[in-house]
Amino acid sequence: MSVLDIRNVETFYGAIMALRGVSLTVEQGEIVTILGANGAGKTTLMKTISGLMDPEKGSIDFNGVRIEGMEPDKIVAMGLAHVPEGREVFPYLSIEENLRMGAYTRRGADIRDDIDMVYSYFPILKERRAQSAGFLSGGQQQMLAIGRGLMARPKLMLLDEPSLGLSPLLTQEIFAIIKRLNAEQGVTMLLVEQNANVALHTAHKGYVLEMGRIVMAGSCEDLRASDDIQEFYLGRQEETQRGQKRWKRRKTWR
Amino acid sequence: MVEMTQDMIIPDDAPIAMDGCDTMVKLWAKRCHELGDQTAHREKELGVWQAYSWTDYYQGGKWAGLALLSMGLEKGQPVQILSEDRREWLYVDLGVAAVGGIPSGVYTTDSAEQLAYLINDSGAPFLFVENDEQLDKFLEVRDRMPGLHKVIVFDRDGLASFSDPQVMFWDELIELGQAEEQANPKKFEAALEAVTPQDARMLIYTSGTTGPPKGAMITHRNMMYQGFAGEQTLEFFPTDELLCFLPLCHVLERLISVDFPILAGCKVNFAESPETVFDNLREVSPHSFTGVPRIWEKIYSRISIMRSEAGWVGRKAFDWAVAAGMKKALAKEDGRRLGPVDSLNLALADLLVLRNLRNLVGLSRTRRCTTGAAPISPDLLRWFEAIGVHLLEGYGMTETAGVATVNTLACNFVGTVGEVLPGTQMRIAPDGEIQLKGPGIFAGYWKKPEKSAETFTEDGWLKTGDVGMIDNHGALKITGRLKDIIITAGGKNITPAEIESKLKFSPYISDAVVIGDRRKYLTCLIMIDQENVERFAQDRQIPYADFASLTRAKEVVDLIGDVVKEVNKSFAQVEQIKDFRLIDILLTAEDEELTPTMKLKRNFVNTRHAALIESMY
Repeated sequence: MSVLDIRNVETFYGAIMALRGVSLTVEQGEIVTILGANGAGKTTLMKTISGLMDPEKGSIDFNGVRIEGMEPDKIVAMGLAHVPEGREVFPYLSIEENLRMGAYTRRGADIRDDIDMVYSYFPILKERRAQSAGFLSGGQQQMLAIGRGLMARPKLMLLDEPSLGLSPLLTQEIFAIIKRLNAEQGVTMLLVEQNANVALHTAHKGYVLEMGRIVMAGSCEDLRASDDIQEFYLGRQEETQRGQKRWKRRKTWR
Repeated sequence: MVEMTQDMIIPDDAPIAMDGCDTMVKLWAKRCHELGDQTAHREKELGVWQAYSWTDYYQGGKWAGLALLSMGLEKGQPVQILSEDRREWLYVDLGVAAVGGIPSGVYTTDSAEQLAYLINDSGAPFLFVENDEQLDKFLEVRDRMPGLHKVIVFDRDGLASFSDPQVMFWDELIELGQAEEQANPKKFEAALEAVTPQDARMLIYTSGTTGPPKGAMITHRNMMYQGFAGEQTLEFFPTDELLCFLPLCHVLERLISVDFPILAGCKVNFAESPETVFDNLREVSPHSFTGVPRIWEKIYSRISIMRSEAGWVGRKAFDWAVAAGMKKALAKEDGRRLGPVDSLNLALADLLVLRNLRNLVGLSRTRRCTTGAAPISPDLLRWFEAIGVHLLEGYGMTETAGVATVNTLACNFVGTVGEVLPGTQMRIAPDGEIQLKGPGIFAGYWKKPEKSAETFTEDGWLKTGDVGMIDNHGALKITGRLKDIIITAGGKNITPAEIESKLKFSPYISDAVVIGDRRKYLTCLIMIDQENVERFAQDRQIPYADFASLTRAKEVVDLIGDVVKEVNKSFAQVEQIKDFRLIDILLTAEDEELTPTMKLKRNFVNTRHAALIESMY
């Protein structure tokens, strides 16, 4: 059964239609990536799923329950964690307090075990667990944000641009951990990413969002093989006789 | 054999002169001198319309022509132009023709291979390209074009550091032309005077659905005749604003946007790009407008969508106004006059709704619209008449130098393509083929005498390859293409065009190809209209991700199924579509299945989608 089933969602910012009818599904155990340029509607889609924004139209099914328009806290309690763009850790709280905030909707003794689990994936957080989160580097803050998301014991985790502002090496590291979390903890993930190369090597399937619409969908192998993806997302330059090329091919999305 | 002759026959050797000129280039020079600083063209630069005069037109043509002469262009040699519509296209077109060369256009959607074919087939020593994108096509296949001497680029953007001995830029060409003018002040005018009516005015490559493209030679006399006939059937005034947006490589746009405006002195506005045509149409609001059926279908579906998005009151008002207009349209067709109540009703509808509607699409000033190049649904013509846009259907082909028959404002028979042009003879062969003879008929294919011979009957009539009949009014009704005629396994002859144009009237279908030759029954491949079907899916909460999944959605298949069922009602049992499939890739003009005017090519479709077709049998 699919964990997430989005059908024809339309979301507005005032009069501006940011999502123009998006439908996608995420199956149990998958990593699904959404690619798109700035302003394509990726973050809006994430916010619409996690309840921070309400769609005007369409439905969102999370494990068989309609969640569109529901309050975000209810959605978190149902097992959907949102790791927001730009990390958004609580800077004046310590790392451990930040992680406990992630488990805010839960009660019980196993919270301690989960903190240890997070530390096992991110040893650096354990080392600095008493420090204020504001003192962490960007990469460490991203780790903390992911860790905090894990603390909700999510069945589905939304990751909004985990590579934002990270060095290429750190990006590789974060994505390796994301892959491990998916394999070992069985966390299903919906991943928004600008770095198409790393996203297409991490995820199982992908969607391309442009101007609030999905223009292409397929397995990551298929997407990687597509000429449009290669030119517009992977930055491949077709060899021309002149050695430079200013014009862009027309997108056909196939 | 049915034979129909107009009252007037123009003998083969009779000169045709307009304004005392017997070639297009003489007429052009005359017009440029007369109109001088008045505006000939408008083009957008950085989003602002800029005007260019008839003097600019003449000088641009002169310098281009002289420069080519000085680089060795000889009389009767073709010159290829690979560019979107822009004024330099016209400068080169007339400049080349004036010095006795033969201008010819290459579609910007053509691939590098197709470009190489056209260069080699025509033997053109010069190629004009629009920009870096088109230049790259030349660079890719330059080794395969040994006869090509020089390439001239219109637009320098992105090529600042580029240099190549075989490539020069437009401004360099102009400088060369100016230097040549200094050295030989009368050379251009002398060359222009030496052009004869029998010389080729242009080479038009046919779209090549049945093999490699062939270059049709259109003479000056052909075009002078088109001007002569056009003056009697279609009116053009010097005050007219026109919009040029169809590819100039096509005979229709060349006639409408180059040769007619030279004859009448109209202003031609160039659309920014094929994507902005509808915006440009609103900005220009042309006095006459010629489009292909696809354009009219698009305008219709845009307005239909506006209607469906309007509120309840808006929808009711729209329906009432169109119904009032439709009464008038139908009355006009029957030659009746509208009663006083209906007339008043229509006047009110026009004032309140229809006028705004025409304003909205940019057809408020149009006296006359024409459509051609592909069959159009009569219902669509009636609908446009109902909203007050007089849309007339005509018929012609490259080999008739543009127009062969046309309806006129005074004499319009909806569902026919009108009467044959004055001075052209038309007859229907025993197998139903339309055959034509007259001064508009082309001179033959470039370097393909055997193909040229095949195009004519033994007694010298052009075999159009179209099937049709002539009605009581003398108007021609086209029923299809001779080679498209489907003979089902049951032995029934069916012309698919009629069924296809009915299907295309649906806003959800952008094109359709009926299949069934030597088969038990008819089937159909359908290309859906992306915009409208997406909206349909969105309004009904039908989930889809990309185009392919849209074509697979059950509701969408059902939607098209309903259209097919509805269309089937108007045909006899054997002519009904038993099954259909949707093409699941979004085709673009670059695809071989589509002509540059976005028509599906039957042969390509049959081979490319053979599996899909087989699945229906």
